[in-house]
Amino acid sequence: MDLKVIDNATCTFCGCVCDDIQLHADENRIHQAKKACVLGKAWFLNHTAERKYPDALIDGHEATLDEAIEAAADHLYKADMPLVYGMSNTTCEAQRECVEMADHLGGLLDSHTSL
Amino acid sequence: MTCTLGEVKNRADFIVYWGGNPAECHPRHFTKYTLMQKSRFLPRGRKDRTMVLVDIRETKSVKAADVFLQVRPGKDFELITILRAMIKDQPISDAQLAETGLTREQLQDFVTRMKAAKFGVFFFGMGLSMTRGKHMNSAALLTLAAELNAFTKFVAMPMRGHGNVTGADVIMRWQTGYPFGISFNRGYPRYNPGEFSTVDVLVRGDTDCNFIIGADPGATMPKPAIEHLASVPTIVLDPHVTHTSKLARVHITTAPAGISAPGTAYRMDEIPMPLRPALESPYPSDEEVVRRIKETILKKPDWMGERPQMLTSQVG
Ligand code: SF4
Repeated sequence: MDLKVIDNATCTFCGCVCDDIQLHADENRIHQAKKACVLGKAWFLNHTAERKYPDALIDGHEATLDEAIEAAADHLYKADMPLVYGMSNTTCEAQRECVEMADHLGGLLDSHTSL
Repeated sequence: MTCTLGEVKNRADFIVYWGGNPAECHPRHFTKYTLMQKSRFLPRGRKDRTMVLVDIRETKSVKAADVFLQVRPGKDFELITILRAMIKDQPISDAQLAETGLTREQLQDFVTRMKAAKFGVFFFGMGLSMTRGKHMNSAALLTLAAELNAFTKFVAMPMRGHGNVTGADVIMRWQTGYPFGISFNRGYPRYNPGEFSTVDVLVRGDTDCNFIIGADPGATMPKPAIEHLASVPTIVLDPHVTHTSKLARVHITTAPAGISAPGTAYRMDEIPMPLRPALESPYPSDEEVVRRIKETILKKPDWMGERPQMLTSQVG
């Protein structure tokens, strides 16, 4: 089995955002996360590239991504006071899209910080 | 008044953790940034640094501390105010001292050490900012740090928690001018935590649709908020089917950031870090899904009509 080695990978589990992690991975999972702490190791090793969940769920039933995107856009568009919330475990690029979406919706925008 | 962790690593000889447990919540904070590193200015590493821990109970972090000050629960603000007076040699009564649960000797020693430091830093956690007094506590500690600059260099930095919350602050500040608790319902951003912050909004039942990304409020929020999430259409984007997904009308599985989705995350000192994903995911990234939902919404007629001040700074 060929292991791919990724140097200086970044862990986003806690606010330290350590960027010196060495990952050993095959197609499916990460086998080692050198230099990471216990929390970081668990974070890296617990994710796989498997298809563990359906692409999307609408009202509890499996759906395709395209259907779910339509449904989400519909709900948000119809709402008078939609809320966009969270944005912790995601990238800045996605956060930027969220801000723009909330702006177009004329809705609320908030993160974990407000708790 | 803050700085980067790089400056702390190279220069800070006096480190205070207030209301946090880095040994268990930020396990590499000591070794990478604050205590163990040697530098040109601190050639002996740990031996050149002093660490004080202020908390309401003994945690695993106590072992790493040189001095542990156990403050009475809910008395952080009082303690900070007393310290502010003591650095200016103002009189403190025994009754005022007794409230904090600490002795005059302990506090005098703390003040002397703070003043004698070359570069001091307060790291404050949720034990300070989320307990009685909340943001008033953080503000008081920032004031203490500012006032200590009459004697030496002192800074303060919040210990930010999981994932990329710091990034969310930075991105919202960049795009809207405000860090969180924002409403666009007049067509321009307004900021009012308490009114627009999620937990309040949900408990009051103000929203009629919720879009949740990279968070699981269904597991962490108070019960009335969770009930509201279930009572109106909720949409969840997450790598896992979460508690919130189970209450939601729509769930979309996305690739986990940093594991199989590329992008940027901010460190707690607001330094952006590129992610290097190791796995290919069968799922799309958050970025792609949000963009597609946004584009689908944009195809529909804008119900708000003429907008006074749209954000125009979106790049790319
Ligand atoms: S390796 Fe540990 S300390 Fe570093 S970011 Fe990950 S969880 Fe935090």
